[in-house]
Amino acid sequence: MSPQSFAALFSLLLVLVVVGFLLVATYNSVVTLAQQASKAWANIDVALKQRHDELPNLVEAVKGLMAFEQATLMRVTQLRAAYSSSAPIPAQAATSEATSSAVRQLFAVVERYPDIKSQANVLDLQREIQRLEEIIADRRELYNDTVFRFNTRIGQFPANTLTRLFGWTARPFFSAPDAQDTPDVQLAL
Amino acid sequence: MSDVASLLVSGSIAGIAGGLWLLIRGFGGYRRAGRLDDTGTSRIATLAVGEVRITGRVEPAELALISLLQSRRCVYFRSQVRQQQGRTTRTVLDEERAVGFRVRDDSGAIRVFPRGANWDAPPVFKEGDGFSGDRPPGLALRSGSAIGPGALDRDDLIEQLLTVRPSFDGSDLSPLGGSRAGIITATGSGRREYEEARIEVGDTVTIIGTALPFDQLADPDEADLAEGSAVGGPLSAMGDLEIAADLDAARATGTLAANPEDAWGNASIPGFGIDEPVRAPHLDPEATPPVVAGHETAERFTRTFEIAPGELVLAINPGRPMLVSVGAPSAAVARGQDQFLVGLLGAILAIGSAVVLAMAMSGTIGA
Repeated sequence: MSPQSFAALFSLLLVLVVVGFLLVATYNSVVTLAQQASKAWANIDVALKQRHDELPNLVEAVKGLMAFEQATLMRVTQLRAAYSSSAPIPAQAATSEATSSAVRQLFAVVERYPDIKSQANVLDLQREIQRLEEIIADRRELYNDTVFRFNTRIGQFPANTLTRLFGWTARPFFSAPDAQDTPDVQLAL
Repeated sequence: MSDVASLLVSGSIAGIAGGLWLLIRGFGGYRRAGRLDDTGTSRIATLAVGEVRITGRVEPAELALISLLQSRRCVYFRSQVRQQQGRTTRTVLDEERAVGFRVRDDSGAIRVFPRGANWDAPPVFKEGDGFSGDRPPGLALRSGSAIGPGALDRDDLIEQLLTVRPSFDGSDLSPLGGSRAGIITATGSGRREYEEARIEVGDTVTIIGTALPFDQLADPDEADLAEGSAVGGPLSAMGDLEIAADLDAARATGTLAANPEDAWGNASIPGFGIDEPVRAPHLDPEATPPVVAGHETAERFTRTFEIAPGELVLAINPGRPMLVSVGAPSAAVARGQDQFLVGLLGAILAIGSAVVLAMAMSGTIGA
């Protein structure tokens, strides 16, 4: 092999190594992001289920003493019933946001009843649900950030050259599309 | 082959080797940047178990390190001293150490166990001896212990300020003590270059690691201290040759006690040494017992020395080692990307050098 052929082959090989590295790194990056998004969603799901399990305890603890606040209690109960872990992510987001809003309203109402507010079990439940609300809010932020990264990555070069080959599609954000998608809850007792 | 051709050939081979080295280093930077960029930042207060990225300020845990070349309080340092000997440069000291620490963001703090972590910390001190052999400004070789207390109170700071330590001028081996002093001083009079990278208390760091409950750590003691390295032999897990030798000797003679209470008695009670024991010590019946620390003080000591079993901590995952990068995520990612760009320039250098090599070999140039 002549020195010129050697130099040409070496240069070609080096370019191929760089291109190959970029393609492999990009593929790995997209797969990692997809896994991160799935994990972030699973972590939200865990917190939603925990809140779903805690809400009946709170309603049970305050309902006897809040005879004139049945509408608020009913709304929390029915929104809890509307939760389904198998629903599409935007629908779950709408239910979750409505539930958070109803729970905040319930806490505001509880403030007006010093007898209830001072009960140890109510305080504990309130603290636990507030903790879960914080967790849901933080994990939702992390999930949306990860989905944003994933969706951006698969639309950018060089990942967009692989998108069709591997069937990557944009993922939905955890947010209610608009106010009309908020679950319609009947408040009749 | 003429002298010019020989020079071109050797220069081209060096160019190819250097370019390939830069390229491989660039690949490492790209992977590191990608790993950081592919993970969103979690808030510490609401961390989920599993691999997470956090960012916050470094706080010391029980202990802090004192860096070797500039004597700064830190949780990680890597110090290197290279010495010119004729036309070659030799590394005469290469020491890397880390201890466990906490990271705090606006929501809370988490304990980090960094054993086995990859550290991404650019040098903060990079100087060489003057032409007349004088030491560079900023060089303040450590003259005391490598390990200091984690949190410093007012009295510690006053004591530090008033303590006069002997300065190190390279002629006296005693300030550094042990074999490391010999490494620096016993190697002739060539010009030295000093380089130190470190993560100091208060620095912002970005970490990718595995969040897990404290009681699931396989070995918290070992997880806390990173392995050290030094010319002349690896350091033990305790990170200090003298300590390791003492421990080995104690084990061999059977004098190493099973637990702190057996070994130190009352001295193992947190706060005993400062007259604020958190529980009553065993004393001679005629001795005046010290006042047991109040609830708040005892809690502070407990928080300092113990971690609840279910508390989440950050440690390594065997498949995905922890990465500790200095700076905010964007800065750490940019550093890795810059390294990749330099790697691409290295590839161009290697290709150019290969072309020059081919031309020199075929006699097109330098004949």
